[in-house]
Amino acid sequence: MSARNGNGERHTTLLALTSSAMLLPAYQGAQADAPPEYTELGLRYSKYKEDDIPGRKSFGSGSERYDIDVAQFHLLAPVADSWSVALDVAWEDMSGASPWFVGESADGDPRVIMSGASIEDTRTEVSVNTRYYYDRGNAGLSYTNSDEDDYQSDAVSLDGAFNSADGMRTYAAAISASWDDIEPTQGAVPTNTLQDDKDIRSAWIGVSQIVSKRAIVRFGLSYTYRDGFLTDPYKNRDSRPDERKEWTASAGYRHFFQQQDAALHVDYRYFDDDWDVVSHTLDLSWHQNVNDQLQLIPFLRYYSQDEAEFFDVVADTSQRYYADDYRLSAFGAFTYGLRLRRELGNWSLNLAGERYKSDESWGLYSGDEAPGLVDYWRYSLGVDYVFR
Amino acid sequence: MLRVDHDFRAMGGPGRLRLEVTGRAQADAAIAAALAEVGRLERKYSRYLEDSVTTRINRAAGADPVSIDAETAGLLDYADTVWRESDGLFDLTSGVLRRAWDFSADRLPAQADIDALLPLVDWQAVERDAQTVRLARPGMEIDLGGVVKEYAADAAAAQLRDAGVAAALVDLAGDMVAVGTPADRPGWPVGIRHPAQRQQAIAALELPPGALASSGDYERCITVDGRRYGHVLDPRSGWPVRGLVAVSVLAPQCMVAGSAATVALLKGAQGIAWLDALGLPWLAVDDDLQCHGTLARA
Repeated sequence: MSARNGNGERHTTLLALTSSAMLLPAYQGAQADAPPEYTELGLRYSKYKEDDIPGRKSFGSGSERYDIDVAQFHLLAPVADSWSVALDVAWEDMSGASPWFVGESADGDPRVIMSGASIEDTRTEVSVNTRYYYDRGNAGLSYTNSDEDDYQSDAVSLDGAFNSADGMRTYAAAISASWDDIEPTQGAVPTNTLQDDKDIRSAWIGVSQIVSKRAIVRFGLSYTYRDGFLTDPYKNRDSRPDERKEWTASAGYRHFFQQQDAALHVDYRYFDDDWDVVSHTLDLSWHQNVNDQLQLIPFLRYYSQDEAEFFDVVADTSQRYYADDYRLSAFGAFTYGLRLRRELGNWSLNLAGERYKSDESWGLYSGDEAPGLVDYWRYSLGVDYVFR
Repeated sequence: MLRVDHDFRAMGGPGRLRLEVTGRAQADAAIAAALAEVGRLERKYSRYLEDSVTTRINRAAGADPVSIDAETAGLLDYADTVWRESDGLFDLTSGVLRRAWDFSADRLPAQADIDALLPLVDWQAVERDAQTVRLARPGMEIDLGGVVKEYAADAAAAQLRDAGVAAALVDLAGDMVAVGTPADRPGWPVGIRHPAQRQQAIAALELPPGALASSGDYERCITVDGRRYGHVLDPRSGWPVRGLVAVSVLAPQCMVAGSAATVALLKGAQGIAWLDALGLPWLAVDDDLQCHGTLARA
């Protein structure tokens, strides 16, 4: 406690007293789940750009891949004492080419044949949510509609959270269902179906626990059942089972470091499904408060997955199920990036940039390298406004 | 809009709830909930009641650990934080020094009596975990009064909020918590009493949502050979601290405001620099009755 400068002392002393006090039940009660006090409005623009596929991995001289622009609108408003409503709208504009199939070159190397740069699509997603806040938690109901040229989806979800009497533990659960219609755009490439559909059902349970003045742990389990046309309609050599059962288990830890005025978030997720895909995701992020107005969040994610049982680098179309989709191959990937949040009175500004790179040799599981593996950049710029 | 004032006595002092409500029924329910909460905390932590948590802990000093609930563990954790942040000056075990000091007679205690009590003043001899607490030495005592009164003010305010009251002021013997603001003003008009002339306000302010806590009781002292000895004792020496006679602090939580005021008082003359660095609005009155701080009248 000695030899600290005035500023350091001021910050840590007040922070220590406040964070210690806030763990007491009276303050937990005072912070009982309540709807937002003010209406919040947000706008965000994001750009997602996949790296070009190089000539040595494709037939031809290399090709551009997907480029997606996303604009998002968010509105959250309190209604009455214990309700809130939210409206989210997103517009996506997608263009570029995606891998059509993988063939072998004359010297035996697998190479991608791209779909050609003719794919253009726009998607509009509208989501409405209403949430009820009660003494010991909250419950929400959402409806989402997504509409694009070749795909329609309607989804509903219900979620709830319940806090223990001492406010130290929260139990949460969610269920969701979606009904999707697929009607591939004809013309660019022959498609695997003219019209089909699929249903998705999902359930999730989780618990989080405050373990000390500065640490929180959480655990979650989920199950997702997909039923219907799960084959990629645009890929030439793709035939997948019409059912997929997925399980995930996740754990997270958050620790606040008082001296640094920063928080470390560590999250891990295990995924397993009946297509034999297994994956591990490890997320690390450091939430650094630079001052009262500025927060910097560098983050790093590691991802590794094992290939689906019917995946081959060059699809074996003599089998019942087959696919050469790089997303079903064995690989490892790193994402690194930086988020920045700046508060300016009722305004806040959010900037983010991240780089994703994947490689078969970075994975925990061995497999042949899919030539279509993707690298990409993503940037976003957002502003939020609170009407207070 | 209906204004309701309710006066009561709790925790050894006068209390008042001021509410702005839409109807009498809402006011009655909110007042009942707030008073029940203050009463609950008083019964739970009073050192005068036989079956209080404090009495149970003190009675088992030097013996077996005593089971405690999460709220008590949280209060002890908080007291530990204040102890650390005050470099050991804020010590819940220092109440035993009252056995040597009698502030009703103008007579100083014998140094030997103080020396005999000092080994019992030792926060580090309070063995704690999340479920139990044990005072390591027989004769040791803890007194949670130093945090519970302000905590009770916050808890009462939380009850008013939960009862749907949008604007209220809780006043527990000078420790105040404002919920919202009155309909026609930016804050609740409150005065900070002059430490020597109790009928006179040394500062007046409009308390915005948040809390104001004060520490120091100028009148509770003894004067020997023309020298004033206040009732705030330094846990290291067992003698009254010098430098400041009264401190008031504004903070989002009354408990934080109260601890800040008490720690500043314990720090004596250095309390002024400490408050300056803390970053909360404050007012301190020194031994010469001079005012300092961001709330002092210009």
